[in-house]
Amino acid sequence: MSQLGTTNAFNLNAPARPMLARDADSMYWMSRYVERAEHISRVLLVNSNVLTDVGDLTPHLQQKQWQSILTIFRLNELKPSDKPVGQQVVQYMTFNEENPNSLLNCILRARENARSIRENISAEMWENLNTLYWSIVSDDARARFEDSSDTFYRAIMSGSMLFQALTDQTLAHDQRWHFTQLAKYLERIDVTSRVIETKFTILRSAEAMLEAPIRNIHWMAVLRSCCSIEAYRKAYVGDMDPMRVASFLILRRDFPRSIRYAVSKAHDAMAAIRRDVSPGVIDAAERVLGRLDAQLEYAEMSEILLEGLPAYLQKMQTSIDDAAIEVQKAYFLH
Amino acid sequence: MFDQYECDGLFDEMFIDRHTPRPHYASVASRLSAMGSEAFNRRVRMADMTFRNQGITFTVYSDTRGVEKIFPFDLIPRIIPGDEWTLIERGLTQRITALNLFCQDIYHDQRILKEGIIPPELIYGAKMFRREMFHVNVPKNIYIHICGTDLIRGKDGKYYVLEDNGRTPSGVSYVLENRSVMKRVFPALFSAYKVRAIEDYPYNLLQTLKYVAPQHAQDNPTIAILTPGIYNSAYFEHSFLARQMGVELVEGRDLIVENSFVYMRTTAGLRRVDVIYRRLDDDFLDPLCFRHDSALGVAGLMNAYRMGNVALVNAVGTGVADDKAIYPFVPDMIKFYMGQEAIIPNVPTYICARPDDMKYTLENLDKLVVKATNESGGYGMLMGHQSTKAEQDAFAVKIKEDPRGFIAQPVVELSQHPSLIGDAFEGRRIDLRPYILYGEKPIIMPGGLTRVALRRGSLVVNSSQGGGSKDTWVLDEEDAPVASPLPEGTETLVTT
Repeated sequence: MSQLGTTNAFNLNAPARPMLARDADSMYWMSRYVERAEHISRVLLVNSNVLTDVGDLTPHLQQKQWQSILTIFRLNELKPSDKPVGQQVVQYMTFNEENPNSLLNCILRARENARSIRENISAEMWENLNTLYWSIVSDDARARFEDSSDTFYRAIMSGSMLFQALTDQTLAHDQRWHFTQLAKYLERIDVTSRVIETKFTILRSAEAMLEAPIRNIHWMAVLRSCCSIEAYRKAYVGDMDPMRVASFLILRRDFPRSIRYAVSKAHDAMAAIRRDVSPGVIDAAERVLGRLDAQLEYAEMSEILLEGLPAYLQKMQTSIDDAAIEVQKAYFLH
Repeated sequence: MFDQYECDGLFDEMFIDRHTPRPHYASVASRLSAMGSEAFNRRVRMADMTFRNQGITFTVYSDTRGVEKIFPFDLIPRIIPGDEWTLIERGLTQRITALNLFCQDIYHDQRILKEGIIPPELIYGAKMFRREMFHVNVPKNIYIHICGTDLIRGKDGKYYVLEDNGRTPSGVSYVLENRSVMKRVFPALFSAYKVRAIEDYPYNLLQTLKYVAPQHAQDNPTIAILTPGIYNSAYFEHSFLARQMGVELVEGRDLIVENSFVYMRTTAGLRRVDVIYRRLDDDFLDPLCFRHDSALGVAGLMNAYRMGNVALVNAVGTGVADDKAIYPFVPDMIKFYMGQEAIIPNVPTYICARPDDMKYTLENLDKLVVKATNESGGYGMLMGHQSTKAEQDAFAVKIKEDPRGFIAQPVVELSQHPSLIGDAFEGRRIDLRPYILYGEKPIIMPGGLTRVALRRGSLVVNSSQGGGSKDTWVLDEEDAPVASPLPEGTETLVTT
């Protein structure tokens, strides 16, 4: 009798195949680095544009704006140099081989991780990421960058977004996919909270010196850095209010770029993985994310402001770090 | 495009003389001539881009980091008529059968040594002879499940076996990818012929692996490919095959042996592994048994293997069969175990371990190809006719120090095939590596990897030495007629 004749042949509920711990690790980092590359591109692009728009900013504020990019990506300040700080940061964040969080290294590592789990991802995902890789390591990459850094960064951003779309549409939504989602959203929470924290600190201290139109441009830049300007405008019809910007980016329920949304998705992914692996027992990683999710569910902006925005966001970053460490302990180090 | 083409007195696969293509190439020749070099080169770029974007690459260890390169792909297909292939297939089936019988014998009764067919010292002196395998029974008595036997054609147009690769032959992924790229860039040319399909190779390989699964896992074995990791030159292939078969791709650090069973570490804890297609040399498999400093293998793997709890493919110890000093005896093996004459002959070989042969070799270093018996990939070789006196002297010293370590062969003027070099076609030397699977029955993929020595006049086709590859088309029997391509006897071999 042919195999298809047996009752089990069509068992569509067959348990998912277990996943190598090392593959889960690579899946996770591949996804985090792709997401990080997108954020780096966007933040650099927006910062260049905003500084062009506002023209003659005081050197001190300019310096701060560029330095904040290093802070967002957890990098130390650069050594003083004769070059304008903008140029220096842009080079360091784009093509520098020593900077672990340069665009080049993020794409390189994303691709390296993908290469080691080539059999776990789809051909479409791999080709997309590999093409992205060649676009940044090819001989003419720097020339294209000099021609138009704007176009260059946009290509990386759409490459990254295409990768996310392909991940959604060509991979079974099983444990493998959940690891990519977990990683993507953890990275997004981390970067978004840092963008809000650093930019708010700079802008609040300089607010008195800035005229209203200029101030608005800066707040718009914060939203742009988080890919949120259009959604914000629709919600508040163009009104640039710092507290609204913050609450939108932190608490908005239905917008994929908000922290609230990302935490809820990260929690879902984590819970799905845990259910797959140990049904019935909630582990430490899920607990951290579950608590954060519940806390955001019932949070109010006034309470957050009472605690102090930077302190609140720092606490959140600590939780995200804890969650990442617990994931590693529970799933990658078998 | 073929205006300036020269056959150079060699056997040319495509042309009888510079104006007359062989019948089975006529259609290719006319289509290519009509196409012109510009259109052709456009397709070359299209193919290169496809390879690059798909990450079909290999790693060259020219510096410390290793560089990822595209395996140069030569777009003109090599075509083998059906009846020619039938003979090759028979010859290879015979050969793989004999090699497996030989391994079984060497690790058990050693009749072939006792009856004086092969001198025992050649076996015991083989680096790849594994005492650990003595009297170990391997599943279904199969040792070499996957073999790549390199064939060449001499000036006489006859096929010869150059060597067998019975350990972890690589290259089959390029065969499959070449074909898929070829179909993409030359759809019309491809459909002008009845080319035998090769796409079932991964399925056949999976059946071969399942066939040797241990008893306890016969129904649904967990199969894994063991790779040294992403920096290995053949990593692309390991990952490719895992993907094509839907099996796990593991590194040594993913595996652990407990109670003589092999497990892999998953996100949900340990899971048993039943069949391992290992792409790792014996030396690195198990630090408890072989090289102690190897971090690539799995401690205790050999023990699990000997208990029959896990199957290894290929078996441990097959290196004794593809040792270059044992190669000259393969026709004798065929006679000894099967009572048959070898269908595809060997290239005449001088074994330096024999005093007379060594003397001859040392006197004729400028005419011979000397090969180190324990090297592969074109390393450790002296091409006598292209070498300097100093290189020959250096080799003479090495041979005298370790006669067992070397063999010598006359230079075989490999057949040539047109390749596009710049704007025109020029002849380049080629060989052929067919892939043989040995499970329930031998299955030979129609075609194989045709490697091209892209440097003018070069006879070395290895990818590590600047070689490229071609898609290889085996035609359905009725597609084209050709006279017998196999030699009457090895004396007809023309060498320079």
